Amino acid sequence: MPGFVREHLRPLMGSAGLHLLLLVLVAGAALRWTSTQPPVQLAIEGVVVDAKDLPKSARAGKPVPPPKVTPPPEIPKPRPEPEPKTEPAPPSPDVKAAEEVQAADAERRRVADEAARKEAAADAERKHAAVADARRKQEEQDKAAREAKLRSERESELQRQLAAEEEAAAVARSGVVDEYRAVLIQAIERNWIRPPSARAGLECTLFVTQATGGTVIDVKLGTCNGDQAVRESIANAVYRASPLPAPRDPRAFERRLQIVFKPTE
Amino acid sequence: MQAGTESMRRPGTTLAALALGLLAMAGPSHAQLRLDITQGVRDAVPIAVVPFGGQTDGTATDVAQVIADDLRLSGRFAPLERRDMVARPTSGPEIRFQDWRLLKSDFIVVGRVEPDGAGSAVAFELFNVQTGQALLAQRLPVGSRGLRAASHRIADLIFERLTGIPGAFSTRIAYVTVEGRPPSQRYRLVVADADGFNPRTVTQSSEPIMSPAWSPDGESLAYVSFESKLSAIYLQRLASGERRRVSARSGINGAPAFSPDGRRLAITLSRDGNLDIYTLELATQTLTRVTSDDAIDTEPEWSKDGRSLYFTSDRAGNAQVYQVALDEARQAQRVTFTNGYNARPRLSPDGNELAMVTLDRGGYRIGVLDLKTRNLRVLTNARQDESPSFAPNGATVIYATKDRARGALAMVSSDGRFQQRLSSDQGDVREPVWSPFPAR
Repeated sequence: MPGFVREHLRPLMGSAGLHLLLLVLVAGAALRWTSTQPPVQLAIEGVVVDAKDLPKSARAGKPVPPPKVTPPPEIPKPRPEPEPKTEPAPPSPDVKAAEEVQAADAERRRVADEAARKEAAADAERKHAAVADARRKQEEQDKAAREAKLRSERESELQRQLAAEEEAAAVARSGVVDEYRAVLIQAIERNWIRPPSARAGLECTLFVTQATGGTVIDVKLGTCNGDQAVRESIANAVYRASPLPAPRDPRAFERRLQIVFKPTE
Repeated sequence: MQAGTESMRRPGTTLAALALGLLAMAGPSHAQLRLDITQGVRDAVPIAVVPFGGQTDGTATDVAQVIADDLRLSGRFAPLERRDMVARPTSGPEIRFQDWRLLKSDFIVVGRVEPDGAGSAVAFELFNVQTGQALLAQRLPVGSRGLRAASHRIADLIFERLTGIPGAFSTRIAYVTVEGRPPSQRYRLVVADADGFNPRTVTQSSEPIMSPAWSPDGESLAYVSFESKLSAIYLQRLASGERRRVSARSGINGAPAFSPDGRRLAITLSRDGNLDIYTLELATQTLTRVTSDDAIDTEPEWSKDGRSLYFTSDRAGNAQVYQVALDEARQAQRVTFTNGYNARPRLSPDGNELAMVTLDRGGYRIGVLDLKTRNLRVLTNARQDESPSFAPNGATVIYATKDRARGALAMVSSDGRFQQRLSSDQGDVREPVWSPFPAR
């Protein structure tokens, strides 16, 4: 018998393995039918999951897809098909009993192992899921925090701008800006020596920058339909008026002036 | 939930972007005060013409003075008084612009007279005082006409650079002077520089001389002289003094005016009974009658294209200006309607305006009629202004006025803003006519 076994060890083992495999398959199939609980086991070595599918399917049900963490959250459809190529020779009738004993033993061990493995896998899965979940939650929180910060920054910028506008509007309402504009216009008109070619229809714009004390520091010509004499006269009008008068209320001061020369007659 | 976050985030982002965009757009216009300038002053432009280097005091011609006087005479510029000049730079690098800014000069002219071979040359530079920008720098050799002519030329260049209009300071004026009292009077036809300097007598007579007119090339004058007791029209070349009588027909021969091509004269003759306008072909002496009205038709002036004449006529009861085409029909059209008296039309160089004497609020004044708009603007405000004549650049009108019962010359800018009286020690001065630009 031992000699026989030894002699036929490989076919025996093969046969036993095959049986075992069949059994497992049958059991597995039964399990699938009877339970909604997904079997997460067994197939570990044989399962091929399309990497492309995974994040997609994962993303489908989850609010935030953490692409690095890829636990198999759902059944990746294991396909434990029997391997037809490795089909062993059919066992001879005289070894059948021993085989059956062995198979029963193996089956028992298998079931036990499987249960343990199943437990461990489920456990790992739970841990994985927990970790992923935590990470995801953290990221969501971070993101929310970042957005909130950005929003509040924008809001405070808007607030600041609104306040500045409010201030400017208040100054404007007080008439100080109008008064400032009037004194500036007067100062420049007094200094604009109109050449004869500056007639109605002329329109020339100067962009003027003044220092705090009213000193003209830059004069740039914008659009102008006047001749050279006109161009020189308007720039010189601004320079001649320098230093420009200061506003009664310093808040009305404006560094940059847009001056449009538009004679009425 | 996810869709919710998206849709909440989007409007948030959009709003923020919109807000930022609005800030960016509103920023410049808000941070800029806009001023609308609709008025200016009618002052002359302040300019400093610094005494030129290389000139010892007491030199016959003070270049800077000639330039400054020219610019002042144009009415457009107010040269700085010498006593106010804090420095005497003679070249660009020597100018401390802040000094001249304090003196409120907008522009500054510096220069010097330098030896140039056997003769000399004048170098000058023009700067904008406010910006320090160099606007003009040239060196002119002093020619046979001397330092004074060179100075006028410099004034021309400065005027053109600063106004966009060619200067007319190198041109000349012709006018008639009368000295003494009847019966011993002396009439002179005089040609002088545009600033009144260098007067030269072209012809003189104890009998009246009238109505000088420049040939288009500026080399001849036509005028009326009664030297033979009867009126006759003469043509005289200025360089040689050579002259010839071109019309001495019976009755009045008067008011010659050269056609734009210089080949014909429009004249007034009374040979057919009353005063009418004729044209005279100078080369052939061919006379063509243009008007034949019972009224007085006189003082012809050519249109720019030479195809019609403007003239004065009292055919409507008082003097008005008419235009007649030199075609078969010769139908005269009235041109002036504004005042009760308009006479002696003189065309502007661009052909768009007529200067004339107009009766305005009780005074005979110089008016300019815009031929397109038919709008007449009165330039002067005395009681007896007469004989207007445009400068060849159109910027100024010279005319005769009365100064304590004596005739004197005056100038007014063609927009009426500046008026200048020309001082004269030449007695009674009449009928100024401005020369064309010299052929260069």
